[in-house]
Amino acid sequence: MNRKLTRRQLATALTSAAALAQTPSGPPATPEDELKAARDRLKANGAALARQEVPMAAEPAFQFRA
Amino acid sequence: MADIGNDVFFATIPELNARLKSKEFSAQELVRAFNSRLAQLGGRYNALALPLPEQALRKAREVDQDIKRERLRGPLQGIPYGVKDLLSLAGQPTTWGAKPYAGQVFNYNATLIDKLAGVGAVLAGKLSMVELAGGGGYRYASASLTGPGLNPWDRARWSGGSSSGPAAAVAAGLVSFAIGSETSGSIVTPASYCGVTALRPTYGLVSRYGAMALSWTLDKLGPFARSAEDCGLILHAIAGSDSKDPGSAGKSFYYTPQYARPLKDLIVGYAPVDFSQWAEPAARPAFDAALDVLRQTGIRLVETKLPPFPYGAVLSTILAAEQASIFEPLIASGKVDELADAAQIAGLKASLEVPAKDYLKAMRVRRLIQEAFSRLFLEVDVLLAPGRPGTATAIDQPLDRGGPVAAAAPADPGFRSIIPAGNLAGLPALVLPCGFAGNLPLALQVVGVPFSENLLLAVGKEFQARTDWHKRRPPGV
Repeated sequence: MNRKLTRRQLATALTSAAALAQTPSGPPATPEDELKAARDRLKANGAALARQEVPMAAEPAFQFRA
Repeated sequence: MADIGNDVFFATIPELNARLKSKEFSAQELVRAFNSRLAQLGGRYNALALPLPEQALRKAREVDQDIKRERLRGPLQGIPYGVKDLLSLAGQPTTWGAKPYAGQVFNYNATLIDKLAGVGAVLAGKLSMVELAGGGGYRYASASLTGPGLNPWDRARWSGGSSSGPAAAVAAGLVSFAIGSETSGSIVTPASYCGVTALRPTYGLVSRYGAMALSWTLDKLGPFARSAEDCGLILHAIAGSDSKDPGSAGKSFYYTPQYARPLKDLIVGYAPVDFSQWAEPAARPAFDAALDVLRQTGIRLVETKLPPFPYGAVLSTILAAEQASIFEPLIASGKVDELADAAQIAGLKASLEVPAKDYLKAMRVRRLIQEAFSRLFLEVDVLLAPGRPGTATAIDQPLDRGGPVAAAAPADPGFRSIIPAGNLAGLPALVLPCGFAGNLPLALQVVGVPFSENLLLAVGKEFQARTDWHKRRPPGV
């Protein structure tokens, strides 16, 4: 059935959809989902590091000193 | 017995020291009063991990004998304090806030505890914390053996983590000062949320011997107290070289803010966007007023940008790799599943899989970050940012979901990454209460070049001479 929406109804529907899209999704449901989410975060960190250029002379701060 | 009154619970260290020396009350009377208060209110905020009333009274008796014989050991003599339950105290449980370690007992003291005992400070209790200092990444404030840390300003709000107990205990007047730890944010966040002054020292300035390790290259111990001056007096006592801590910088600290550069000569770098857009709207008036107070001191505020690095990714990778090595036995044994927080459990398990190349890359980027901050500090003397952009989160709010969704996040990141950036570079930070949004406290953080604690404390002392936010007390305490 086709139903014509008023402008006000359309605006309300779009606002609700936008609000829903901004609502963070719930926490992972199972321990396996949690582990996958944690692994995904590590991978994202690795990807961010891979994009960072580092000169060959920059040695790791093994003996860290402030 | 002297009538001690309620004010002692919120007195500064010099005030208590003067009253003890003038024999207005004895150290034993003072400690009895704090013991009662800890017993009465510690549970109200889930701030107390282990009361030590008998041990504290024994120490107070020694202090009274010393004062009687005029063996004066400095301003901390007879002052009751607490430590986060990640510092070992011989013969007493040290739980690291985590169920798998609930029965853990060491047979030696942390260096810091011995140092404070040496100047006559009285350890009144061990204070609660987020389990394993939260390195795995926790989702809920309830990630602790002692339950969620409740904020003395509003028990429906979190006291912050991972040094939840030290911040709440100082705010509620359960101890005169407390020792917490920071790997990334664990001093700055709870101090900001609870409205207490706190200091994250330069990496290596305070020995961590006897403290739980979370990340060897990031961990620091530091004080929560009533004022910048109190933080200076405490740091004076706990800093110093220690051959038992491989990260020790081999430096001492003498609290001498009077010799710091005049404030009118200081250039302070800040990002206006932190205060005008990233800060929660309700917090902006207090932050604006605090900036005005700083300007009135003669300090010159200049707009500054943090060097662009993926700070969060660098810090998370280093932390994950180091904690994986530290807690591998816990994870491999399966006891990790006894932790309270599902996200923390998963984070620790996943950390075993950090590739060596990622850890090395992160440590190489860290070198670049240190160099970039060295250059930045040629242009400015200190950096200034909100302690947190807003007030304490609700106790049941998921912590990995972020705060309220910004309608339009500013394109300029400002100093949003100052906590991981400062920790990666080993920089000291002083947290200064600076006002309220509603009934909840807000704070500034002042960050400096390594070993510039006296300068930060001089800024803090002047700010606190012009404001009284650090003297405010939570309702009903």
